[in-house]
Amino acid sequence: MSPEVALLNNYLIVGALLFGIGLIGFISRRNLIVMFLAAEMMLQGVSLSLAAWSRFHNNFGGQILVIFIIAIAACEAAIVLALVMALFQRRGQLDVSDWQTLREENQPAFRDQPLPEEAELQESWPHLAPAGIEPEVPLERTNYRPTV
Amino acid sequence: MRDLHLSLMIATLLGALGMWLLLPRGTARGRSLGAVLAAIALGLISSQMPGLGDWIANSVFAVLSVVTVVASACTISFRNPVYCAIWFGMTLIGVAGLFLLNGAQFLAVATIVVYAGAILVTFLFVLMLAQPEGKAVYDRLSWEALISASAGMVMVGILSMTICSVFCTPAAVDSPVFTTPSAENLAQGVLSPYHVASFGTELFGRHIIAIEVVGALLLAALVGAAVIVAQTKKIPADSLSQKSPRPLGATNVVVPQGEGFLQLKDR
Repeated sequence: MSPEVALLNNYLIVGALLFGIGLIGFISRRNLIVMFLAAEMMLQGVSLSLAAWSRFHNNFGGQILVIFIIAIAACEAAIVLALVMALFQRRGQLDVSDWQTLREENQPAFRDQPLPEEAELQESWPHLAPAGIEPEVPLERTNYRPTV
Repeated sequence: MRDLHLSLMIATLLGALGMWLLLPRGTARGRSLGAVLAAIALGLISSQMPGLGDWIANSVFAVLSVVTVVASACTISFRNPVYCAIWFGMTLIGVAGLFLLNGAQFLAVATIVVYAGAILVTFLFVLMLAQPEGKAVYDRLSWEALISASAGMVMVGILSMTICSVFCTPAAVDSPVFTTPSAENLAQGVLSPYHVASFGTELFGRHIIAIEVVGALLLAALVGAAVIVAQTKKIPADSLSQKSPRPLGATNVVVPQGEGFLQLKDR
């Protein structure tokens, strides 16, 4: 097999892997932003395949299509992030299942399964040597969040 | 041929199990087993990939593709969304390296600049703005992890089987459909030393109208994002749970009343 065909073959398989992993993430994750990252990953898989075809046919068309994909992804990111901010300001979290009232009729509602308790890992934070007098900050001021 | 199909099928099965174990399911148990299974699946798939000629090209391709695929699996399996975004950046770097290896220099730089430099940083901004306190339940549970992992990996299996059975059989490669480009043609075309110049000539010559349309689209997206953000109002959560049927055809615009609803008026 000539190296050019092998290169095309390998790039198509890597593109398929990226697309499939992005698909899994888009279906299964519930965080709005992670879902969007997964969608962008699917676009990356398609871009890889297009660039590989562009080299195989010795034609710039595939690469130009990738430029358009990047431009569309930028538009998409701007719109989606504005929407995510709007949704977050209404519900205070990024969960998709908050918006399940938009589902089709006669569909049962999704309910969270109880989360099993997990032993907290001991996190080691960097320790600073105390210096001076610690100022008193009331707890309600540090925890105050106007939008939540 | 049967060997190829068998190993790709085993890879699909192992990959589906591994991705299911890697996805957040409420427990951290089995994640390392999932990582091992997914790595075996990746090795099985890559064992079916033909070599690229010399060992330098082979090893560069192997490193870049492993970085890309592993980082993309980490993107969807980490529970903290900030880590997900950072692993996505790693995926982008791997993809940019693969573009470079493929001779698409401009695309590699554009991916780094536009994706990793602009889109990803905006994502991190929004994550910082919109991160609730503590660990969120919805980051530690997935919808139907097993079904979605099987669906995605079955799609990968079908695609890679099709691709390999098209390209890896001698009969297919020898057929006249495959006119592989010669090195001289490539050096004149896509791989020429003036790659970016000829790319730009093509982009702003033959595709100039499409470029203008994309420019208009970007402007529309900008205006749309600004409008969406400006309409966002603080709506108390309990008013949304009331079932007040909205009249047909009503838009999202709620007339601000009482205290200043618009964010700008709050000041």
